[in-house]
Amino acid sequence: MVQTRARKLVSVVAAAGTVAIGTSVVASAGAAASTPRALGHAAGSVYSIGVPMPETGPNAQAGTEIFDGELLAANQINAHGGILGHKLKLNEQDDACDPQTSAAAATKLVSQGVQAFVGNYCSGAALPAEPIVKRAGLPNIQPSANDPSLTAAKLNNVFLMDPTSSGDATEATAFFKKVEHVKKVLIADDQSTFAVGVANLAYRDMKKAGISVPAIQAVPATQTDFSSVISVVKSSGAQGVYWTGYYAQAALFAKQLRAAGLKKVVYAVADGSVDPTFISDAGPAGNGTFATIVDTTQFLGGKNAKLFIKQYRKAFHSAPGPYSAYGYDAINTLAAAANNAHSIAPAKVIQALHKVHYHGLTGAVSFTKVGARVGAKFVVLEVRKGQYTVAPKQP
Amino acid sequence: MQLLVGEIENGIFLGAFFVLIALGYSMVYGILRLINFAHGDFYMMAAYVSFAIFGAVGISHLHSKWPVVLVVGLITMIATGALAVLAERLIYRPMRRAALLSLMIAALGLSQVLENGVLNIPAWGSQYRTYPVTSSAAGTSILGTQFTYAQIAMVIISGLLAVGVYYLVGRTLIGKAMRAVAEDRVAASLMGVNVDLVISLVFFVGGALAGAAAVMDSLYYGQINYLMGFTVGLQAFTAAVLGGIGNIAGAVVGGLLLGIVESIGTGIFGAEWSVVVAFGVLVVMLWVRPNGLLGERVARRM
Repeated sequence: MVQTRARKLVSVVAAAGTVAIGTSVVASAGAAASTPRALGHAAGSVYSIGVPMPETGPNAQAGTEIFDGELLAANQINAHGGILGHKLKLNEQDDACDPQTSAAAATKLVSQGVQAFVGNYCSGAALPAEPIVKRAGLPNIQPSANDPSLTAAKLNNVFLMDPTSSGDATEATAFFKKVEHVKKVLIADDQSTFAVGVANLAYRDMKKAGISVPAIQAVPATQTDFSSVISVVKSSGAQGVYWTGYYAQAALFAKQLRAAGLKKVVYAVADGSVDPTFISDAGPAGNGTFATIVDTTQFLGGKNAKLFIKQYRKAFHSAPGPYSAYGYDAINTLAAAANNAHSIAPAKVIQALHKVHYHGLTGAVSFTKVGARVGAKFVVLEVRKGQYTVAPKQP
Repeated sequence: MQLLVGEIENGIFLGAFFVLIALGYSMVYGILRLINFAHGDFYMMAAYVSFAIFGAVGISHLHSKWPVVLVVGLITMIATGALAVLAERLIYRPMRRAALLSLMIAALGLSQVLENGVLNIPAWGSQYRTYPVTSSAAGTSILGTQFTYAQIAMVIISGLLAVGVYYLVGRTLIGKAMRAVAEDRVAASLMGVNVDLVISLVFFVGGALAGAAAVMDSLYYGQINYLMGFTVGLQAFTAAVLGGIGNIAGAVVGGLLLGIVESIGTGIFGAEWSVVVAFGVLVVMLWVRPNGLLGERVARRM
């Protein structure tokens, strides 16, 4: 527990550091704006990338972890001379995982003259920023936001690195039916865009698979007490619970579920709740719980992934978070597209992103017409002895 | 039926916290006619103060350490009480002759200052913090619903504190002074009551109760964040109004009722309806009884 707190502290220091970097970038961007614009496009210039991320609130840790993954990629690219001679500069803005703050952050970044967007952790924050980035004509790469609504508008500039949440729902349904042989599952969300999306898809999939769902409980994100929801679990006789919200509440739910004596109810969460904070907050109640998730950083195999984790630890003195590798791949995918296009002009990069085939840490990266990721796999995790492990029985 | 009984029990646990915070709202309103919107943030501050103390002491499990927890809880209560007194001394006292609206705005301002101040403290703000000590999951079944021993103890402690306040205000000389100041500040001072001291004392008691609620809440839920006081503050304020603001027994009844209504709302209509049901009941209640359930005449509120 002490160790966890130390790690959080480090990430806060790291966040403070990135804020400092962010402000210095802002300062230099401001200086550049006062000089003639043509100078900005000369050789040896800067490829300025807007990175809106949650730096405050319950999702600050995840935001920092993704940003650090992006920073690592950018530093490596810069060490090899940048993209077509342009040095990458990440321009961070706090979106607080909040729709209004996110829209303001996007507007600010556009006005600062960034040439691409790689950001937003939460789907709910990514959605209102979409039209702003679209109007500016910039590529909009999302490292972790993956709600289907993000591609529903069929904007041609949106690219999701993280496969849409339909994978979560499908994986959860298969897990409850084939591995746990559960007949009744209560679904609960936190009313966020992502969670409601997964909950509705899971509801549909489970019904189709013959699992009965007594209710989708929409728990307000500020609620800390789950006792009344747990009473519903008990009275409905649900043998499984699928929580699709975020990790702070996931831990409270798990703890209170076990304390209420429901020790045999299978507790599974969607990928928004996979985070070290879940384990530290849930304590012993976390053990034996499950999560559906795309193959994330810590479960990636192979030489490149191991090297990435080593480099990340060295740079930031903490373990990468689940989506750090997606942040890393997002920047590298952008770089690959720009290299293919022989240009960093936003319109040309967008065109190149539609045709990109990049082999990243998270597998092959290419996109459908509307910008959904193609080719990523899902996995069921189990918490054992306070660690995330790949569950022994996969659906 | 089992669901209903369980939800009522859960509601009582939930309501026990509302009661402690509602008492602070109610007492301050009773004596100053001020709705102290910063009160919920005193509660949040208490969580962080105890978080810091536990961090410094460095214990990580409650088992057999409950005397330490008790001492930390008492220190936190005193510290939070002192914070409330400080706020009164620095902000509300100089404004006592100003319009009530100005005081209310000042309270809202203080609330923002506290929330954003905590947000900017590196070891505290922005992220959800894991509380270093959590209560054990051991428990027993009451009428078919499982509760931990810690939960039962918390409800009992809340009850004792509420009874204590009721006794303090209703049966002691200090309480008489409080009631006198609430009724007529000028007349009370002419009778030799030290009005400033009495008002400070009311703030201290309110802060200390919020401190107790915060420590117990953090021990049970194990998570704290800089906005935790906002929602609870709003709910406790609602509870105070529901019972009749300015009325000690009203705060208790209102707190428990709000907890139970919220719980039943979730059980019957689903979690997304709990807030609608709770505030719907408030609106109907105020329509039927504009002064709250136990509301009395203004002059006799305390």
